[in-house]
Amino acid sequence: MLFNELYSAYYNTVAALLKQAMDHPLSDSELSEIIHQHAFEESELYIRPALKDQRWQLIQTEGTTCLKKIPSMPLTTLQKQWLKAIGMDVRMRLFTEDTFDFPDVEPLFIPDDILIFDQYSDGDDYQSETYINNFRILLQAIRTHTPLSIVQENKHGQKLTVLIQPDYLEYSQKDDKFRLIGAGSYLGNTINLAGIISCQPIKENPPTDLRKRNPLKLRSVIFELVDQRNALERVLMHFAHFKKRVQKIDVNHYEVTLFYDKEDETEIVIRILSFGPLLKVKAPVHFVNLIKQRLIDQRSCGI
Amino acid sequence: MAYSELVKNFSRIRDYMREFYVYGFKSRNEFTKKSGRSYDDEKRRLESWLKDYMQFRQTAEGKNVFLSIDTRITKHNPLYKAWKTKSFTEGDITLHFILMDILNSADHPLSFNSIREQIDEYLLDFEEPRFFDESTVRKKLNEYIREGIVVGEMCSKKKVYHAADPAPLLDVDAVHFFSEVAPCGVMGSFLLDKLENHEDHLAFKHHYITDTMDSEILCDIFSAIHGKNEMMLKMMNRHKAQINENTVIPLKVMISVQNGRQYLMAYSFRFRRISAYRIDNIVAVQINEVSDRFDELRAKLEGMLPHIWGVSTQGGSNMRMEHVEFTIRYTEQEQHIPRRLEREKRCGTVEQLDSHSSRFSADVYDASELIPWIRTFLCRITEFSFSNKTLEKQFKEDLEEMYKLYGLEKEENHAFQ
Repeated sequence: MLFNELYSAYYNTVAALLKQAMDHPLSDSELSEIIHQHAFEESELYIRPALKDQRWQLIQTEGTTCLKKIPSMPLTTLQKQWLKAIGMDVRMRLFTEDTFDFPDVEPLFIPDDILIFDQYSDGDDYQSETYINNFRILLQAIRTHTPLSIVQENKHGQKLTVLIQPDYLEYSQKDDKFRLIGAGSYLGNTINLAGIISCQPIKENPPTDLRKRNPLKLRSVIFELVDQRNALERVLMHFAHFKKRVQKIDVNHYEVTLFYDKEDETEIVIRILSFGPLLKVKAPVHFVNLIKQRLIDQRSCGI
Repeated sequence: MAYSELVKNFSRIRDYMREFYVYGFKSRNEFTKKSGRSYDDEKRRLESWLKDYMQFRQTAEGKNVFLSIDTRITKHNPLYKAWKTKSFTEGDITLHFILMDILNSADHPLSFNSIREQIDEYLLDFEEPRFFDESTVRKKLNEYIREGIVVGEMCSKKKVYHAADPAPLLDVDAVHFFSEVAPCGVMGSFLLDKLENHEDHLAFKHHYITDTMDSEILCDIFSAIHGKNEMMLKMMNRHKAQINENTVIPLKVMISVQNGRQYLMAYSFRFRRISAYRIDNIVAVQINEVSDRFDELRAKLEGMLPHIWGVSTQGGSNMRMEHVEFTIRYTEQEQHIPRRLEREKRCGTVEQLDSHSSRFSADVYDASELIPWIRTFLCRITEFSFSNKTLEKQFKEDLEEMYKLYGLEKEENHAFQ
């Protein structure tokens, strides 16, 4: 069963407390710190008295425990089933050769049980040995904070070498692509993995003059939504992954403020257009004009 | 009953999370389904679990509470926390750690009596030692055998117990990745909780997490698909606020990465056809007997897929199949536009008419599902045609309505400053 106390934050917290108590008597401040690290905002109100009052008989008054081994739990059947299922995903080889072949369980699902029906079709080639090799070099460099020299091909087919301090890999499930986010490249902070020909860590004489990474440039757009044809639910589900605010104006009108990164502005414009007349952009003016220009261009097509 | 941070039944919290995360505009008074106290308790729980993401806004109707999460920045799905809140008894947690310690410390399988004796020894030093009777210990062992963390086997006609094999070493980044992108990813989050502190090396764009609340239902669906079982679905009809029951043969799970919805494609006995069921509208499931029609119906669905744009298997017209086509124009510098048609189409064909125009056409069960995508090409659509004329009229009227919304109904060329 998925909703099970074996996976609960409280069990994990108590396991961490017991681990500490096996090493040395647990102090009050350690107790607080561990609870806040592993559980929720109000958890100390429940966990501390339960242990102190010996309702949970695991830690003695002086902060020691009768346990002999650091708490650990084998994988549950459900965890094995899930690991076995993801072991069948072609993307697993980007990370490891392990396929989680637990002979005693069936996978929770197999690739044929699922269809992502609206993913773009030009995703990265996860079965390419070059891609896998590059991915592993990049990931290792991120883990060890090692700068990289990357050779990539530009849109004119020319080879370019860039130096970058890698920060993290960003994956878009819609695009089915990975991008490397880092700092230092004069071509920008983002490199599409599919465009990388080769890469190698710079272990000796690392560059010291790499540029800083530009933070996300957050912008907002305000649009009015009229709740016809189930628009309220469709729009809010569609934009659910953004930070946003929703305000009810009257019985079927809502105002939505959406926060997005400047580099995604064109994407936001067409996503708003996709809802037709059920959304009307109110502000800022430059965004309203982007929508208007598209409509003017459309009208010029004779429709 | 006194307030507790933990919950016994997940379905209680499922609706509130959806309201606070997806919608987020209702005031306390608008939560009419539950009592005021129930609202206060659920809000307090969510605040405790997800404090960093809870926001408040004062309106004329009262204070609105909502969850605001930018999933491009949060590298781990915060809603998974809700699945880590299952309540338990004082005896459960005490027995769990002692039992697992006994089994993990033993170098050979233990008999039931030996386990019971050792439990008592662990508790001796407490002022008022708790007593676990035989039935309680046996129930817990059986529960853990079912969960797979304890193995019970016969040895010389006597049942003995030992801990299952220790968890293998896992690649943290792999588990992190699949915890965010794979179905039932909360299992990955559970695994990450058991690993030592680690840095995050991955982030996610266009990342929907609304399906988090449906993880347990999805697990049951996979189980039924795997066993080729029939299922009874209890579906919430949100418009009518009523629950319907449907007996189906589950065939496939269809996932959207452009709105986060998950659907079960299943054969409905009532309607005698394959239809889509939104998984977030399923409130409960029951797995029934094995169906001998699974393979036949799965093959039928596979044959239908080239004509399904989204998930719908029936359009608004009476036609079995609806034809749709549209033509777009682009300049020399806009060669990414015809590439967009190719990469974004899910079925149908793209035909390049000349160096500046391409036509898309498809025969689908429900052409209305293409409308939002077609609108993303507004500014360059030169022709369109739908065999479903009601839909074609609606598309034209919507376009006129959009011109009106922005004051463009008559003027052909505006200049914007």
